[in-house]
Amino acid sequence: MLLWIGIIVIILVAFFLLIYWGFYNRIIRMENRIDNSWAQIDVQLKRRADLIPNLMETVKGYMKHEKEVLENVTKARSALMSAKSPQENIDADNMLTGALKSLFAVAENYPDLKANQNFLQLQDELTHTEDKIAYSRQHFNDVTLAYNNTIETFPGLWFAKRMNRKTRDMLKIPEADRELPKVKF
Amino acid sequence: MEKKLLVEDHIRRNKRQTILVCSFMAILFIAVVLSLGYILFAGNIIIALIFAIPIAVGYVLITYSISVQTVLSAAKARPANPANREEKLFMYKVEEMSIAAGLPMPKVYVQDSDNINAFATGKKPEEAVICATTGALRKLKPDELEGVMAHEMSHIKNNDILIMTVTVAVVGAIALISELVFWSLFWGGGARGRKGEGNAIIIVLAIIFVILAPIFSRLTYLAISRKREYLADSNGAYLTRNPEGLAKALEKIKEDHPRGKPKGSKTVAPLYIANPFKSVSVSSIWSTHPPIDERIKRLRSM
Repeated sequence: MLLWIGIIVIILVAFFLLIYWGFYNRIIRMENRIDNSWAQIDVQLKRRADLIPNLMETVKGYMKHEKEVLENVTKARSALMSAKSPQENIDADNMLTGALKSLFAVAENYPDLKANQNFLQLQDELTHTEDKIAYSRQHFNDVTLAYNNTIETFPGLWFAKRMNRKTRDMLKIPEADRELPKVKF
Repeated sequence: MEKKLLVEDHIRRNKRQTILVCSFMAILFIAVVLSLGYILFAGNIIIALIFAIPIAVGYVLITYSISVQTVLSAAKARPANPANREEKLFMYKVEEMSIAAGLPMPKVYVQDSDNINAFATGKKPEEAVICATTGALRKLKPDELEGVMAHEMSHIKNNDILIMTVTVAVVGAIALISELVFWSLFWGGGARGRKGEGNAIIIVLAIIFVILAPIFSRLTYLAISRKREYLADSNGAYLTRNPEGLAKALEKIKEDHPRGKPKGSKTVAPLYIANPFKSVSVSSIWSTHPPIDERIKRLRSM
């Protein structure tokens, strides 16, 4: 009788350890995925900041009367360069997106600039980087949501507590960002 | 309207059905190989197995290992050229979708054709290839092209590219065996002194089965293909968060009447986002894809 109870206890403990092992690895893997996707966003943000000086150099000669537009871009760029936390980064990036949108909208009034190959190339690449940032954020939120779901539902909840894990913040993406910029003439 | 299913439910149901259909394919393949051995060796099943299994498995393995090259050369595809703006923007879109899916960037190819179409192939996500026709790059708006790329990226993420590659190999092997038996009957007339050995009726049945097998294997293949299309549509919509992009692209494909004959071979037709050979709007067991109207309707109901 005692032997049987012993065997059952051992099986239960082994079973528990196995599940714990599985969840431990799963949680760590998901955390790595979140960190990695943040690194992705960071790479794109840097890339974008690097492209801006080239753009300014190209545009400068054409846009003589658009000081404000150009200044906004430069301002947003330096905000991005000095941002520390993820949300600060994202906010500065949203600012830059807005500033670039007005710049590209204003550029429509300069046929010479629009015909400039260098400008076109930069415009394509900046748009691409912007899209990549948007999708990196989306992916970041996807993996963060999956992580939060795992550690907030049973039985993951139980193991996460044991491992001292807390839910991660998702990035807020403002809806206003998607609106078209208003251009004053 | 039918009950709206969550993407997760779609995925689960689809996985179950795919496993079912794939096992049927495997059983069919084993049966064909066995029958071949039986016909050749008049009932000596052991010799039959020793002879037939390595050949059949070998054929599948070889087809599998050269599959990507085969598909690309059948489509006459070439690597995308970043110096061309249209193709550069296409590469950008592929990269964006790979980021959204959290997958490595696939190789990007272009097929010179007036059709609007695209396909993905490869054995695993790390070695995937995405190809679009020049017609698609020219005629689709950015959000539509994005929808199509998200659909292809989902094929990669769901491992459809592997399932389809292996299935194509098996369908090919079955067709080859069947043809072999057919022609050896035709020329040899079955006159290779096998009187008395084995059971004549079983041999005749085996021959009939082997000759009919390609029909069954093709139908199974098409069933798998149709299942995976719906799934890639819904997962693609999830990637872009914009089902309308793909819906509009499918509408364009439906209304597009390009000049000239489509390129590529019929065996790889199920790899494309829409069948390049005809635009059927009725569902049939012979279709490579679900009816395009139904796909659009499902996307719009998301």
